[in-house]
Amino acid sequence: MKVLKTIALGIIVPIAIFILWFWATETGRVATSLLPTLSMVKKAFIDMTSSGQLQKDLLISIQRVLKGFLFAALLGIALGTIMGMFSPIRAMLEPFITTIRQIPMIAWFPLIVLWFGIGEISKVIIIVLAAFFPVLVNTLSGVIQTPEGYLEVAKLYKLSKFKTFTKLYLPHAIPQILVGLKLGLSVSWMAVVAAELVAATSGIGFRMNDARSMMRSDKVIICMLVIGIVGILMDKIVSLLFGYLTPWQKVGQKK
Amino acid sequence: MAEANEDYIIKVEHLNKHFKVDKEELEVLRDINLEIKEGEFITIVGHSGCGKSTLLKIICGLVSYEDGEVIRNGHKVVGPGPNCGMVFQDHRLLPWLKIKDNVGFGLDHLTKEEKAITVQNHIDLVGLHGFENSYPSQLSGGMSQRAAIARGLANNPNILLLDEPFGALDALTRIQMQKEILRIQKEQKTTMVMVTHDIDEAIVLGNRIVVMSARPGEIKEIIKVSSAARKRNSIDFSQVKKKIYEYLFEESEQEIETDYII
Ligand SMILES: Nc1ncnc2c1ncn2[C@@H]1O[C@H](COP(=O)(O)OP(=O)(O)O)[C@@H](O)[C@H]1O
Ligand SMILES: [Mg+2]
Repeated sequence: MKVLKTIALGIIVPIAIFILWFWATETGRVATSLLPTLSMVKKAFIDMTSSGQLQKDLLISIQRVLKGFLFAALLGIALGTIMGMFSPIRAMLEPFITTIRQIPMIAWFPLIVLWFGIGEISKVIIIVLAAFFPVLVNTLSGVIQTPEGYLEVAKLYKLSKFKTFTKLYLPHAIPQILVGLKLGLSVSWMAVVAAELVAATSGIGFRMNDARSMMRSDKVIICMLVIGIVGILMDKIVSLLFGYLTPWQKVGQKK
Repeated sequence: MAEANEDYIIKVEHLNKHFKVDKEELEVLRDINLEIKEGEFITIVGHSGCGKSTLLKIICGLVSYEDGEVIRNGHKVVGPGPNCGMVFQDHRLLPWLKIKDNVGFGLDHLTKEEKAITVQNHIDLVGLHGFENSYPSQLSGGMSQRAAIARGLANNPNILLLDEPFGALDALTRIQMQKEILRIQKEQKTTMVMVTHDIDEAIVLGNRIVVMSARPGEIKEIIKVSSAARKRNSIDFSQVKKKIYEYLFEESEQEIETDYII
């Protein structure tokens, strides 16, 4: 019952928006070039999917995200762990990283386009830059919060640095690493759309900008909806991973 | 104890320990001398902060010392070793490992089969059969301490140090665990050194009780406990208890007096 209530509360706002939208467009109060009718949007969706264009654009964008995100995740987890386990390295890198992080992802565009052009590589680099910091920062914080008492146990059993990593630091940090991955994936997705809007010849962001230039608000809205839905799906997938990778937390919650 | 050699399994001589805290020297242990024979059960009581945990950690090699000498199994202690296990008050089981993996935490040098057998034996020893695949969060406090004891014994150490292992348990579970640890000590013949803040516990478990003064921790007295005195409610028990009270509280009463004068 509680679930039903939550769902009911959650769909009030979307339904209200649809009603408002329907009312505004069907009565002709808003020009359809600015806001299309619902049926126009539906027709655009059918057009875009039956031609396979939407799927193709989506696939390209997702591929870019995966390339950049996986690279950023590996790099962020590795560096975060190393910084967490070896305090001199942390002391050396942390001020620099804290400074760099203050630069918004979009502000990297001009320099990266200057250096790498508007090809595939520059988009992946943008994604790496966007996803790297959330993963790094969360991994680091998960690792350095490993309780001293656990480390004492590792010392008692004379665990090597590597074993201490696999048996203590890593499992302790996993929940937080996953928080970082979630954040990183979501900003990756935003980054790829932003990058494609600015400089691209393919991808969902490009398609949206293309539709805008042809005054096709219906197509723009389809792209926006698809971007939102894919973002949610990505988040859910990482959440599933979360439960799978931390079985001890599930049993803890049940109690 | 009819041991062939009369050598001591643990020998602490003129041990002093300071910690540096904010550039200030904090004297924690002062001239500790303690000799423990194989198979003995030693309990240590003393006010909180007097250095009991530090003493145990020095004996097992987790904390270094500069002044004095600590011998364990005939060798000067320079670090942890498999012959000396330790059980902490906050069981310190790793939440992400199942009980069997926690118990087998220090057994990576064994083959898979050997490890499985050793782990099972020790889980059975502490009465946790059936909980091999549980996570620590699914266990009660008493069961967690059993698992911690199993981990401490899994390496087959001849010394087990216990730092207030039952301190967080309720009174009934605590008495139960005291019986268990005595049974385990009889079975395994492990030399045990247990810090406790429960004076009854110290008397029931200890062959000898080490009474320490407030910081800097010094050994005030080592009280031998007769088997008659180890029975709760016996007259001997009460006498030993009274004696420990006197040692522990004479100085604090003086302190209170001086406080009033100031
Ligand atoms: N690693 C450490 N660094 C600095 N001070 C410490 C450290 N470990 C313990 N101490 C201090 O030493 C004193 C004795 O601590 P401890 O051995 O834990 O006492 P007990 O176990 O008897 O309560 C305390 O004042 C504590 O704050
Ligand atoms: Mg202590």
